Amino acid sequence: MAAPFGKFCPRLSSRLSPSFQAERCTTPKVSACLCSQQATSPSAEGVRTDPLKPAQPEFVESREDFKWVERLIPRHQIPPIPEHPNYPTPCGWVPPRDPPPDLPYSVRRSRFCHIPVYQRFRKGGSRKQTVIAHIEGDIWALEKELEEFLPAIIGRNPAIQVNEVARKIVVKGLVMEEVKKWLLEKGF
Amino acid sequence: MASAGKGTRGALNLLKNLPRVGLNNIKPLPGAFFKAPRRMGGGKSKRKCGRGHKGQGQRGTRPRLGFEGGNTPFYLRIPKYGYYENHSRRRQYPPLSLYRLQYLIDMGRIDTTQPIDLASLTIGRALNINPKRQHYGINLVEEGADIFQAKINIEVQYASELAIATVERNGGTITMSYYDPMSLHILVDPIGFFTKGIPIPKRALPPEDLVEYYTSAESRGYLADPKEIQKARLALAEKYGYKLPDLSLEERFKMLSIRKDPRQVLFGLGAGWLVDMNRKTVLKPTDPELLEFYKS
Repeated sequence: MAAPFGKFCPRLSSRLSPSFQAERCTTPKVSACLCSQQATSPSAEGVRTDPLKPAQPEFVESREDFKWVERLIPRHQIPPIPEHPNYPTPCGWVPPRDPPPDLPYSVRRSRFCHIPVYQRFRKGGSRKQTVIAHIEGDIWALEKELEEFLPAIIGRNPAIQVNEVARKIVVKGLVMEEVKKWLLEKGF
Repeated sequence: MASAGKGTRGALNLLKNLPRVGLNNIKPLPGAFFKAPRRMGGGKSKRKCGRGHKGQGQRGTRPRLGFEGGNTPFYLRIPKYGYYENHSRRRQYPPLSLYRLQYLIDMGRIDTTQPIDLASLTIGRALNINPKRQHYGINLVEEGADIFQAKINIEVQYASELAIATVERNGGTITMSYYDPMSLHILVDPIGFFTKGIPIPKRALPPEDLVEYYTSAESRGYLADPKEIQKARLALAEKYGYKLPDLSLEERFKMLSIRKDPRQVLFGLGAGWLVDMNRKTVLKPTDPELLEFYKS
């Protein structure tokens, strides 16, 4: 198998020589796995062997190697976030404060444990909005606090829409980063 | 302002002091230009709402843009050349940034105690690799090199020099490895492949134009000489000015030195093996000819 390839790439074929492979590989190779598990064939003399059945079994079963398959099975649930010694983590994630802050409302984290503030671009990109989702409790109290917080960023009279049924607040303008930081400081 | 006095003196005063006449400070007298008001339907009484009379135009059944009645249209007839030639057949390596990798490790979606390859990244939902779209693997991108802090044994298909330096500086190892499309299909969806009941094939060797890349130590190719790689690690550390950590002192040294065989697709599973998902076993062939074939 290596010979025709060797014609085109002599460098490569030398690197694939068995001795070179043996030096560099630490994973169990096919031959190494089989040596210990070779099954013995019934070789008693005088016993008529069926020419259609092979003398040796065609394969060897291994249950131990199935662990390498188990780690390839996909996950169907979001795994829990491990404990970190310091926060924020290197990528900038901060967990919600425990116990939760004592406010009339609360902003629950998303399923991936992020602060649920998103940007929205509608009408071909000309209508720019910021959405705060997953608000529980007194949504109007949060709206009142936003009315005090946002003028410093957007200007006076920020346009805020409260959706009590869907439990979200929509703000006209792009203030995602500022609102996220503000909610994080509150401890959500 | 200019005092508009009487007569010539007044006029001369104005000329002296008023600004120069330009397009920005003159306008016509009201009523000078007459713009006729727009009437619905134009001059004659028309009731077609701008759609014309009969045919595809009025009935809204015009074919797609570029269609020429059936003959090969202009935009398909003219061949692409140069930069765009065979663009749909070129190998693509979707990017994975070091920032995203650090994020996934922080969130616990990727296990750093095991070697990371495309299969683990797919399970951690790092990104979607679709071999049918000429994706040949992952390109590790430098974005997030300043915040990256994980010790990993990672195997990708391409990485820039800074990305390699970042991984090695933090005490990890990185290898560039080639997967042909068939092996990539297996790597991206291994369980889907095992349910087919086909033995794991050998991974193909890289094509001619990629051999140089995967055998060079500077790019940490999987076919490169380990001694050359060690020299290249030291050279890169000198170039970027960091101290290369001694991996042999790490408790994870064994994990960091695990590499796949050039003919192996998945960690721990060799070529020619058959996985039985129902009975939870792995079947390995015993025929010497088959073993010889799979070893070559």
